[in-house]
Amino acid sequence: MSAPEVFQLSFGPLTGIAFSPDRSQVAVCPNSNEVLIYARNGDSWDLKDTLAEHDKLVTAISWAPNTNRIVTCSQDRNAYVWTHNGSAWQPALCLLRINRAATCVKWSPNEDKFAVGSGARTIAICSFDEENNWWVSKHIKKPLRSTVLSIDWHPNNVLLAAGAADAKAYVFSAYLKGIDSKPQPGVWGDKLPFSTIAGDFKSPNGGWVHDVAFSPSGDALAFVAHDSSLSVVYPAGPGEPLAAHISVRLPSLPFVNLTFVSESSLIAAGHDCQPVLFSGSSSGWAIAESLDDPASSGSKPLTPHATGARPSGGVGRLGNNEAFNMFKAADSRGQRGVPAPGGAPTSAGLTPVGSDGLLLTVHQNTITHVEPYEWNSNGDVSKITTAGRDGRLVLWTVPAGKGGLAGKMAGLQV
Amino acid sequence: MSDYAFRKIDIDALDEDVLLPSDLYDPDPRGPDGVLSDAQSKSSEVRNLISRGDIAGALNTILTDPPYGEGVDEAKNLTTTALLLILNSTRASEISGILKALGQDQQDHLMAYLYKGMAAIGQGGDVSGSVLLNWHEKLTEVAGVGCIVRVMTDRRTL
Amino acid sequence: MVSLQSFDPSRSNTLRPYLNAVRATLTAALTLENFSSQVVERHNKPEVETSTSPEVLLHPLVVSRNESERVLIEPSVNSIRLSIAIKQADEIEKILCHKFTRFMMMRAEGFVILRRKPLPGYDISFLITNFHSESMLKHKLVDFIIQFMEDVDKEISEMKLSLNARARIVAESYLSTVSIGSSSDFVSYVSEFLP
Repeated sequence: MSAPEVFQLSFGPLTGIAFSPDRSQVAVCPNSNEVLIYARNGDSWDLKDTLAEHDKLVTAISWAPNTNRIVTCSQDRNAYVWTHNGSAWQPALCLLRINRAATCVKWSPNEDKFAVGSGARTIAICSFDEENNWWVSKHIKKPLRSTVLSIDWHPNNVLLAAGAADAKAYVFSAYLKGIDSKPQPGVWGDKLPFSTIAGDFKSPNGGWVHDVAFSPSGDALAFVAHDSSLSVVYPAGPGEPLAAHISVRLPSLPFVNLTFVSESSLIAAGHDCQPVLFSGSSSGWAIAESLDDPASSGSKPLTPHATGARPSGGVGRLGNNEAFNMFKAADSRGQRGVPAPGGAPTSAGLTPVGSDGLLLTVHQNTITHVEPYEWNSNGDVSKITTAGRDGRLVLWTVPAGKGGLAGKMAGLQV
Repeated sequence: MSDYAFRKIDIDALDEDVLLPSDLYDPDPRGPDGVLSDAQSKSSEVRNLISRGDIAGALNTILTDPPYGEGVDEAKNLTTTALLLILNSTRASEISGILKALGQDQQDHLMAYLYKGMAAIGQGGDVSGSVLLNWHEKLTEVAGVGCIVRVMTDRRTL
Repeated sequence: MVSLQSFDPSRSNTLRPYLNAVRATLTAALTLENFSSQVVERHNKPEVETSTSPEVLLHPLVVSRNESERVLIEPSVNSIRLSIAIKQADEIEKILCHKFTRFMMMRAEGFVILRRKPLPGYDISFLITNFHSESMLKHKLVDFIIQFMEDVDKEISEMKLSLNARARIVAESYLSTVSIGSSSDFVSYVSEFLP
């Protein structure tokens, strides 16, 4: 496995990230109300454009691969569709009609509509209105009763999965008359008028559903929740009980993002600061390997455990300074001249986590985005990109043979 | 014009879409009476197992389907008392082995009970902090911090 | 003269598991994200303080060592509140603890994560939001809290010793200026009454 490519785009969190269709540009939001577009220049990224129209934090960005349009949404309750007119990006306001923050946005696979999740317990499905030359929306309201944290489109352009803070993942129909052709009947249902619920699933221990994803075929739904769990659901067909509902509970901190890399493997990442490859099928899922395991690279674990190991004088690294002790004695006891007998316990200063005080993983803070970056000839994801609260953008190679012992062996040979 | 009480009405609570804490979990299918009789039989079974020295079996019994939610306080108290009895009568050297034998659900439940026990210290609880802290440390080693996260997220109050 | 390291040895054997438990719980709780209020438009407030949406608040957890020393951690989606009850064995420690925490809390802006008021039943509270965990390294935040808990006990017992030592010095210097026939005998007599 080749080493990941790391780019420090910002020193704060990256709240939204989207690559251009040809991967030569990237749109990111550096935890502000602006979206910055960088163009790749060898090993670095140069700032090319700034999209400034929102007036609060931009929460998500989606870049349509075929039509080359960008949609951004923000906590100011608005979404804009940006089109490039040859020289600059032009914004078009979208009539979302929501009264709370927009949290997530995604273009549908056909790029003729997009969905916006919001804190107003609503998902807005937006489509272009030719007559008035603007984007209008239709709402999915019931049975949402909490903030929508994530959405994902089914490959058929009709079904939409959503994860919410009420610890449930939903599958809705986002069928719009006049835009969509009638979907083929599938495992999720055969008759799908707008806002039909094709399924709702609870997280095993009541955690908020941070991210949802359909498998490449669309026949399985995976979601990660705040109770450190990954669930994968296989529906059997309309009106029938689920073929399988697999929940993997992990000993690590919760994941906040996931993406499928093939029908039988996915990558999830989150508060543990490392992307983890899972593999499985309807008979079960398990961790295959971590893409960035500090333990296997022969160094210290992620978080230090020894609390007693930190020698500490009352005042950190000044503890064994003679002049300091003199002042301290004068201050606390009214003594002059002689340092206090017994003195403060000596201190060697702070004990760092790594030799430089940083975590030993590539990401130094929560990973908030995992997206496919490159596909190989048979349609599986060969490279993924992650971005996190540490302002880093990282490109990872997905281990070739999907997980298991074979995967590890293949990884060794590269 | 002295009545300002209307200003304090929580109008969000009148919204029909409001999410109540009780909507966040499914109630126990056994019903309050079933839960209580279950808890009683389990707690006497646990006493039997302890007297025979089968700590692992006792822990396994008490942590399977523990009572949760509203209106089952008596069953909860019985279970908590029985559990603390087990914790107190386990030798420190045996803890790790016992924990490894538990299922994931049971580990999560045990972690919840440990926090419950610690919250009760100083309010008449008869268990010492050092025993609970010792169990907590061992359990975190075995089940990881994910186990603690699940105690926080789980709405089914034990 | 007294030594500053004169901790009761029986106390330290539960200190390590206590701090470890706090560290693990805090690490688990510090899994925050940016979350805009779903009740008030265009607001982004710590949910643990506003507590308007039940679904984004998590179970508060207590880690306690004995009746007088415990930590309460209240997690939510974008903020956690951590409250510490500090050991206070006698009246002097109570006064010192009160003065010490009050000094800090009056300067809460300088301490970034410190809350201006402690929760009832606790001596000092911290409020950590997602903005803190974004701009600071999370493991360092956890380290800081643990370090604070270690140091505050030390600091208070040290201050208590200093207070006594200072009282002794004051008594000595005050009494040595008073001309009594056998002043040194008197000083040693008086200092027996000092704690």
